[in-house]
Amino acid sequence: MPPSQLKQLKASLRDSGVVGPQQSKKQKRQNAKSGATTQNRNQRNAALQAIRDRFNPFEIKVPSNRSKFDATTRDGPSTSAGHSRPGVTKSLGEERRRATLLQEMNTRNKVGGLVDRRFGENDPTMTPEERAAERFARESQKKMRKESMFNLEEEEDEFQLTHLGQGLSFDEKDRDDFEMGGSDNGESDDETSRKRKRFVEAEEEEEDFIDNPEGDDLHERKKSKAEVMKEVIAKSKFYKHERQQAKEDDDDLRDELDKELPDLFEALRGMKAPAKPEPPKQDLDTMNPERAAMLQGPEKTDAEKEYDQRLKQLTFDKRSQPTDRTKTEEEKIEEEAERLKKLEEDRMKRMRGEQVSDEEGEEEDDDKDSFFNDEEEESDIDDATAFGLPSASYEPRPNLAVEDEDDFLIDDDLVETRSNVSLSVDEDDMEESDLSDEDESEQSEQEDELINGMSLPAASAASTAVAASKSADGKLAFTYPCPDSHDEFTALIKGVPNEDVPTIVQRIRALHHPRLHPDNKAKLGRFSEILVEHVSYMANQPEPSFVLAESILRHVHSLAKTHPINVAMAFRARLREISKDRPLNLLPGDLAILTGISTVFPTSDHFHAVSTPAHLCLARFLGQCSANTLSDFATGAFATSLCLQYQAVAKRYMPELINYALNALCNLAPTEPTKGLGSFPYRKSEESVRLAPSKKVTPRKLQFRDLATSPSEDQAKEELKISLVTTFISLLDTSSDLWAEKSAFTEIFTPVREMLNHLQQSFKSKVYTSVRDLVQSTLDKINAHLDQSRLTRRPLLLHNHRPLAIKAGIPKFEENFNPDKHYDPDRERAESNRLKAELKRERKGAMRELRKDASFVAREKLREKKERDSEYEKKYKRLVAEIQNEEGRAANDYEKERRGRQGKR
Amino acid sequence: MPAPVEASKKRKSSKNAGAPSKRRAVAEDDFTETLSTIEKLENEIAESRKHYNNISTLISMLDVEKSAKKPELAVAVSLCRVFSRLMAAGNFAESSRAAENEKIITAWLKERCLEYQRALLAIMREADTTSQVCEPRLYRGVKVKLTRNPQITALTLSMRIIKERITHIPGAENAVWSTNFKHIVEAVIEAQDGQDLQTEFIEKFVKEFEDVRYHTFGEIAEYASIRRSSDVFDSLVAILSACDDVPGDDHEFENFFATPGGKNKRLTSVNSHKKRAQEAWLAILRNNISQAQRKSLLRIMVHHIEPWFSRPELLMDFLTDSYNFGGATSLLALSGLFYLIQEKNLDYPQFYAKLYSLLDADLLHSKHRSRFFRLLNTFLASTHLPAALIASFLKRLARLALNAPPSAIVVIVPFMYNIFKNHPTCTFMMHREIRDKDLAADIEAAGMDDPFDPTEKDPTRTGAIESSLWEIETLQSHYHPNVAAIARIISEQFTKQQYNLEDFLDHTYQGMVEAELGTGEKPLRKVPVVEYQIPKRIFTDRLLAEDGGVDSGPAAFMRGLWDFS
Repeated sequence: MPPSQLKQLKASLRDSGVVGPQQSKKQKRQNAKSGATTQNRNQRNAALQAIRDRFNPFEIKVPSNRSKFDATTRDGPSTSAGHSRPGVTKSLGEERRRATLLQEMNTRNKVGGLVDRRFGENDPTMTPEERAAERFARESQKKMRKESMFNLEEEEDEFQLTHLGQGLSFDEKDRDDFEMGGSDNGESDDETSRKRKRFVEAEEEEEDFIDNPEGDDLHERKKSKAEVMKEVIAKSKFYKHERQQAKEDDDDLRDELDKELPDLFEALRGMKAPAKPEPPKQDLDTMNPERAAMLQGPEKTDAEKEYDQRLKQLTFDKRSQPTDRTKTEEEKIEEEAERLKKLEEDRMKRMRGEQVSDEEGEEEDDDKDSFFNDEEEESDIDDATAFGLPSASYEPRPNLAVEDEDDFLIDDDLVETRSNVSLSVDEDDMEESDLSDEDESEQSEQEDELINGMSLPAASAASTAVAASKSADGKLAFTYPCPDSHDEFTALIKGVPNEDVPTIVQRIRALHHPRLHPDNKAKLGRFSEILVEHVSYMANQPEPSFVLAESILRHVHSLAKTHPINVAMAFRARLREISKDRPLNLLPGDLAILTGISTVFPTSDHFHAVSTPAHLCLARFLGQCSANTLSDFATGAFATSLCLQYQAVAKRYMPELINYALNALCNLAPTEPTKGLGSFPYRKSEESVRLAPSKKVTPRKLQFRDLATSPSEDQAKEELKISLVTTFISLLDTSSDLWAEKSAFTEIFTPVREMLNHLQQSFKSKVYTSVRDLVQSTLDKINAHLDQSRLTRRPLLLHNHRPLAIKAGIPKFEENFNPDKHYDPDRERAESNRLKAELKRERKGAMRELRKDASFVAREKLREKKERDSEYEKKYKRLVAEIQNEEGRAANDYEKERRGRQGKR
Repeated sequence: MPAPVEASKKRKSSKNAGAPSKRRAVAEDDFTETLSTIEKLENEIAESRKHYNNISTLISMLDVEKSAKKPELAVAVSLCRVFSRLMAAGNFAESSRAAENEKIITAWLKERCLEYQRALLAIMREADTTSQVCEPRLYRGVKVKLTRNPQITALTLSMRIIKERITHIPGAENAVWSTNFKHIVEAVIEAQDGQDLQTEFIEKFVKEFEDVRYHTFGEIAEYASIRRSSDVFDSLVAILSACDDVPGDDHEFENFFATPGGKNKRLTSVNSHKKRAQEAWLAILRNNISQAQRKSLLRIMVHHIEPWFSRPELLMDFLTDSYNFGGATSLLALSGLFYLIQEKNLDYPQFYAKLYSLLDADLLHSKHRSRFFRLLNTFLASTHLPAALIASFLKRLARLALNAPPSAIVVIVPFMYNIFKNHPTCTFMMHREIRDKDLAADIEAAGMDDPFDPTEKDPTRTGAIESSLWEIETLQSHYHPNVAAIARIISEQFTKQQYNLEDFLDHTYQGMVEAELGTGEKPLRKVPVVEYQIPKRIFTDRLLAEDGGVDSGPAAFMRGLWDFS
């Protein structure tokens, strides 16, 4: 059985040393001196509090649910977690409210009051001694800083409002608050809400309050020795400083007096000294103004600073570099070759669909966008080349030896001026004018720059004049307006012989050179579109002049270098027209346009805004057109050869080409093939176009006009047929060369071989001797290619990829797993969850606080009311008692009187 | 009959006999006079029995023999009114108790009615449809109803008579449907220039009224049971395929053209309707039909024909015949056949061999391509099919892709991808390492032939699984960048689960060109690259001497083949 409460209390008091044996007087004195008493008192208080807590079982709240066994939780036995002391916290909260909320309540609707702004008064981290010391130090510093209040030399900032000799500074208070905010490290980790902050303040104040009894004692008590020494040292320092200050002041005064001495002498002598010469001033007018300014500058130091600055700037300046040496011919050629090689490499890159090194970075994106909108379009071109696609093996075309003519067309600066001249038809006539024209134009260019482009008409007139005088036809006008539409252009060249049209074009280009007028660039852009239209217009004429078409196409090409967008848009517009109006019957003009595309734009590009649709147009025509008449087949032959020319560099495979060629040969062959020759669709032409010559026919070169007109007499017809056959055979020949490297060459060309065999069979007749050799040679070549293809054939190895990692299904194991923590791999979600939980917690806390506040306020009000009521009651009672008292007295008096009267009676 | 009437009839008929010939020449006054005569005759009939002879007057005015091409429609309409009134009045009803002369009158009336109906049928068959052009002008303001095709008017009138007879003469229903209606259907089918007539018949009667539809099915079945000329079938098929709303099992038949007192049980049951339709279709399918008709029938098979069949297995013969036909017909028969195989347990031996043989040169160029690929996707979906068979299909498709338009290639490659995903054993066709050292050395030295045998008919024995898809690899350098990119998916890692085949099915040249060019002027986002070298020659031999007579440069190939002059 445990001992009684009283005994326990006594025992614990003894244990903690609160109650001990009586101390002797000497000991007491010693303790008082060394300050041990304060320490003891603190200890004692703490011990007493602990004992009080221990002996009040109602103070401690134990959680209702038992804690779990250690084995079931990783948290371990949490001893402190469950034991809260609701009474303590409640009373604490109550006190805080009394300190803050009550104050607020009392001061509500009231104005004025006292604010304690003494230094350190609100800073709980300072002990009263520290506060006092700090206050003293500040005071003395303030005194040291200014000698006298009335010293006007000093800044007047120091002048302060005082109250009873004490400075009133408001910033100190602010600072204290700020420091306090920083110092409440206990709870500053959490985001303290408004309420909490208030409580923090209160808490600290409370601590002060608790300390205060002792602090009050200390104020009265003597200062310790250390403090005294500190004060002494501070004082001596202060005095020393004052002395130094005084000495410096004296020195200054002396200097001043010394300066005034010459004047004084002057005054004493009574005469003026000769005026000093002022050489620097005169200099200033003549010298460099900047330098003058520098010399004149307010102070020497500034000048030096500026000098330094300049010097530094100079070090960062670019050093002048030696200009390029004039190059020798060989070097120029070499450079040119280098440049062409670079251009060729760029083309190869574009062909493989790679990004061109120094060109626009968004190229790839454009490519991507232009694909279908299916999601699978990840064209990994590098992979493709790694698999040894034929496009990877290329040799740069041996075109490096280029003429001057094309040479200077490429230099951007010179293209516009010189290409005009170079592109004229009658080159021989222009030969001399070439040089002079060049010089002149160059001169005019220089002039342009010198006079800011003012007198341009003259310069241009000069150049055209030269061109005109040398071109030996006086009747052409020198100036032409730049046409706005194709009709205007046709009107312009109406009646002009074909040979002169290029001259007109050239003059229009010269007259509207972009350097001459800012609008000219747009005008020439429009003009280039008109030229493109004109090419197709010309080819559609019954008797097209290809000399003219060629020269105009070359003009278009050179214009395309400066106006690539305009030219490309013009070509695209034509292609659009073709695909809308006549995708399956191309006109000669359309074919001319498609030919133009093959020269103006690189058809080898993986993706190109003009050549890709052009390819599609051609392929669509070949794949779907109806081939019924000889002229249809001629058109088809032209389109087929265009396709081959398009693919001359890139060597991409076109299924439509093979289909068409084989189909055409099937239709043209003297006898119909008995069995299917391959997997191409065979479409019979409506009218028979089979070769059936009566006498010997010789193939000729196909002519462009065969596209439009088919001959009427039999002999010419047969001739056309046999030439078509030879053309198709040679086309197949060329295509077999082009695609020899393809892995499916065997599959593509086995039908071709069958076809040729069939032709060989049917050409046994004597009339075909001329063709037989061609067929045989092509057959031999294809056979050779087929053998080669068989030799190089290997099983496909397309999937040499690094194997994909198998998805791991093992759950992630967490070391030191804590069930309370959230292990969300998604950081953002985890963060938002955390914030949500915090918000919830804060909201609950705030609500709880508000509720408690409200109940506190209500309680306070009730208390006040009760107080008032009781006061009133007291007063009332007092008054009643008073009156009763008086009444009683009066009654007594009356009674006395009455009795007295009775007695008298 | 009284003489005065006779006389007046004669007078009028003689007058009227001259009228049609004069009609074109005589102005509208004459015509209105005719109209008033007709009206008068009609009113007299309504007034009393005495004037019944007017009916024969009117019929003779109609005068079918002479003027079936350009009938007097006003007369026809008025006759229709007369007969309707008489039927409603019960004059056609035979009662045994009636007097002898009554019976004679009834019989006479019936005879006239038949005569009238025959006349209408003749109009339907032969009337000149172009005469409707002048009708509106002639009849303007008099009778709007007549401003139509005389054939259609005749149809409407005869249907009206049928309706009246069924409603007012008890017990006449069966006879009317089996004789009169039969004649009408025949007339509609065989009418000259009968397009409008047939659409009218379909829209106004067959689709509208369920009993008319029911009887039409019966008549068509009967009609088609005899071999007929093939152009008649177009109209038959048109009529039948127009009835595409097959009644559901719990369908309530409510729309009847003519409702006799007691409802016919056959008319209200779904099954009997279906049975009639099925008979009609079968009669057509059994008849001799042309190739084009067979195709069009196959095209509507799934949506219009099969729903009518309560026993679809009856279609088996037709479908298997069509499937064995080859070419596009087989393609079209495929879906119907598949339905039978799937639902009705039809056993089709050598189905896959036949399917394999459908993959011919024309397939990828045919307009049924996407339809075929949808079905092929279904057929090859099963993972239990032998890998050798699957490989044969893949290889065959790859071969065909070498000659295919780009729109077909973009279908084939994702299709292959999906199949490779389902049949991993086939992936050897894309990646085959040869472990056998001797064989490897052999191939290194002498190359190899394709082990695939394209002529083998049996898809399980082609050896395709030993082969590789060089064709698709070649298509990776297709001229069209997008097609090349799609072909490249088989050489990349197979990370995607499946490609949605529908997205690839319906591309065309037109669509591709439009995707490149856009429909209108739009500024280019990127400056197009221009060939850096301006060629010296494009068409001509300009300055050829400078190069020493050797033509080189970009367009040399074209100049070599073509003569531009």
